[in-house]
Amino acid sequence: MTTYAVVGKPTQQITAPSKVTGNTPYPSDVQLPRMVHVKVFRSPVAHARIKRLDVSRARAYPGVVTVLVADDLPAHLARDSANRVFTLLAQREIVFYGQPVAFVVAETAQIAEEARDLIELEYDELPVVLDVLQAVDPSSPPVRYTMEGVDRSELRAHTTVKEEEEEAVKISNVTQRMIFSRGDVEQGFAEADLVVERTYRAQWVHQGYIEPMAAVVDIDAGSGELTIWTGTQGLFGTRETVAKVLGIPESKINVQAIETGGAFGAKLQPFAAAVAAFVATKVQRPVRYVLTRSEDLRAADPAPQAYFEVKTGVKKDGTVTALKARAIYDCGSFPGSPLMAGSNLLGAYYKWPNLEIEGLEVITNRVSQGALRAPGTPQATFAIDSQMDIMAQMLDMDPLEFRLKNAVVEGDLMPNGRSFTRIGLRECLGAMKETEFWKNRNNLGANEAWGIAVGGWLGGLQPASAIVALNSDGSISVLVGAADITGTNTSFQMIAAEVMSLPLHKVSVRTGATGNSPYAGASAGSKTLRTVGGAVFKACEDARDQMFRIAAQRLEANSEDLELAGGAVRVKGSPEKALTFQLLATMTQGFGATYPMITGRGNIGSPTMAPGFTVQGVKVYVDPDTGEITVKDACVVQDVGFAINPTAVENQLQGGLYQSLGIGFTEEMIWNDKGILLNPSLLDYRQPVSLDIPKIEVKLVEVPTNEPPFGAKGVGEPPISAGCAALANAAARASGARVYQLPVTAERILRAKGQVQ
Amino acid sequence: MAKQIVRLRVNGYSYEVLTEPSRPLLDVVRDDLGLTGTKEGCGTGDCGACTMFMNGEPVTSCLVIAPDAEGYEITTIEGLAKDGKLHPVQQAFIDHGALQCGYCIPGMIMSAVALLERIPDPSFDEIRAGISGNLCRCTGYTKIIEAIETAAKEMSAARV
Repeated sequence: MTTYAVVGKPTQQITAPSKVTGNTPYPSDVQLPRMVHVKVFRSPVAHARIKRLDVSRARAYPGVVTVLVADDLPAHLARDSANRVFTLLAQREIVFYGQPVAFVVAETAQIAEEARDLIELEYDELPVVLDVLQAVDPSSPPVRYTMEGVDRSELRAHTTVKEEEEEAVKISNVTQRMIFSRGDVEQGFAEADLVVERTYRAQWVHQGYIEPMAAVVDIDAGSGELTIWTGTQGLFGTRETVAKVLGIPESKINVQAIETGGAFGAKLQPFAAAVAAFVATKVQRPVRYVLTRSEDLRAADPAPQAYFEVKTGVKKDGTVTALKARAIYDCGSFPGSPLMAGSNLLGAYYKWPNLEIEGLEVITNRVSQGALRAPGTPQATFAIDSQMDIMAQMLDMDPLEFRLKNAVVEGDLMPNGRSFTRIGLRECLGAMKETEFWKNRNNLGANEAWGIAVGGWLGGLQPASAIVALNSDGSISVLVGAADITGTNTSFQMIAAEVMSLPLHKVSVRTGATGNSPYAGASAGSKTLRTVGGAVFKACEDARDQMFRIAAQRLEANSEDLELAGGAVRVKGSPEKALTFQLLATMTQGFGATYPMITGRGNIGSPTMAPGFTVQGVKVYVDPDTGEITVKDACVVQDVGFAINPTAVENQLQGGLYQSLGIGFTEEMIWNDKGILLNPSLLDYRQPVSLDIPKIEVKLVEVPTNEPPFGAKGVGEPPISAGCAALANAAARASGARVYQLPVTAERILRAKGQVQ
Repeated sequence: MAKQIVRLRVNGYSYEVLTEPSRPLLDVVRDDLGLTGTKEGCGTGDCGACTMFMNGEPVTSCLVIAPDAEGYEITTIEGLAKDGKLHPVQQAFIDHGALQCGYCIPGMIMSAVALLERIPDPSFDEIRAGISGNLCRCTGYTKIIEAIETAAKEMSAARV
């Protein structure tokens, strides 16, 4: 095992000193002179045809700059389209509660709110469809009467394999169908000693970022160039989308790098930036648009509900024989859902010799969905790992041994037909046995029990680019276009310091604006460290090679005889024959210098897929009278390949498990039967607080890839997949009654026990 | 609504602000005084991101009307470090990596400082209760609690 000087050691986040003193700016902190404020007039109903919209009194209100309606939108944009981001305002048909209908732009936010109250809207209400089973029924009313074009970008963002899709043309509320199959499921059930059929439901969940969606857009009234500060994981994706919305070249837009107050996938679609940019082009002044928490809960892009019918067969020795499932994902009012990813992962954890997974995606009259960390996967994991737990209980087998018996290994197939590369699921199951959680699992009081679950995420893949420049003082600067997602820039700093043999303080890392940094995909999909980090690694090797070429000449040595050490290039075995980085800078930068500048470039294509698996354990107490759950212990074990910064990796794992627990027992967006969101506040949409969560134990497993940087795997998404299932399994054992719906609430436990009608 | 002059003492400095009297203290501190370290997460007192001190007591400043803050010594996150030296709680958060995106952190640190003023040697459950009004979405709270445990020990040792 190689020992490294920098990577693998717990390291302070570059931005930490600035963040703990309140000095790091976020998009909602940006203040520009003459800035105007946008407040959105939103639909009070879920589905309606607009009859009359009168903004004249609002326009006339003192301090109002303008009020914009759908007729003011760029002419090239389809109205009431299938693409949520392009549908900045409803024109003819309102399709979700809270949908924007007009923008009020004023000198202050308060004036905009007061003027907004003067807007008059008349509409004819239309039928509301909210339940996925109703939406699937061909006799249900249409969720939408107008929808131009169909958007498939969600599909491409989260799968890396071409799947077979069948466009559903006969059922208007069904916008996508797919099927994965192999073997013969009926034969598989015939071979089984035990067949289990259950139905599961998972809820709509808000990503819960603490900073609401926000954008500040400046405009140069002379050149028309826009500068954007917004909460996003993808600067370049934001630029591309805003350019399309406005119908202007990307070169006219500069998206600045700025810290985001949480995103977890929600801010991949640049709603706030598109609105603010549009308004800026109309008023020719800087524009601020920040959603209130209530607006964000009502009208952002939360994670969708899903419904699963699962039938599994298993032999009495614990070998699974068949999986047949039907999955329905809800899109909300605009097509697009994580149907493909969720359906694939539903059957990806275990060796199913025969499987058939049919998936559907439906639209409903509620806000449209967006990505949440491992899209589609917590829902699917809840379904499959509850099912596995039920089979283990029925066979009287230890839940961990049962999963170990069936866990996938390298070479096994996923439902989509691709085979796994080197993965660490079995290793994680083994490592779980070494945790404090596992050692203490049977220290149980009355009404307490533990549960485990398996989860994972395939990991996104994308080309990446990085630049490394030598500074005149011998330090180096690393430039990337990837948004710094809670510590990735620190990991790049560590990678560069390791390769260049420099101390950390001599390496600076910057995410540039889109106008002056290399293209980067979104910092999402559990790919940033692997891809951009790989590019940083390569850029450093390139810079090193450039240094070696010069040093070889000057030191009269061969390149193979050179090494980097202590901020210098030196001859191996003769450390006195050296050129410091500072000297190299002088030789390559000074006026009249003859050697070319040293600028390392690293451009890589997509690396090999390297899925990350996790095994999580949760211990709960369930009150026998109230059904209330208390989480007593929680543990996350995950294959991370190689932990470049163990602190950052632990943070991701603990945070992911935390979010999964919220999905498991406290969080649910609730609409009434008219499609009105009943809990648009953080009081009633209950994200777990510190009192709800025990100390989370972390155990890192390292099954490295064969690729830079240092064999690391993506870690961001696997940890959210399993916690909700582990909690549901624990609660089922503690209460004696299983709940087949997330979140597992006290009420649902009591109903399952028959204690409440 | 007619504006009025509101006089505020923040981090040891005196300010005069011309504002509508109904505006929250949070907005006045951020927008009029330019102290954007304190954040808005919800505007309804449910998330704690807006936590600052009024005479040393933590408040959700989104629910304090600016004129009601007259006569108080207000402390924001920007006022914690003294003469360039970080508060032990701030240093502990850095050392433990007790933050990710950082948006909840100013409010979280203020609540932690207030907790340790009240209970210098808090138990695990007292720490959890002390920060239960501060929502974090990134960390799952474990490293935050560990940082506060360390800060408590550092501050006790410094007092000896």
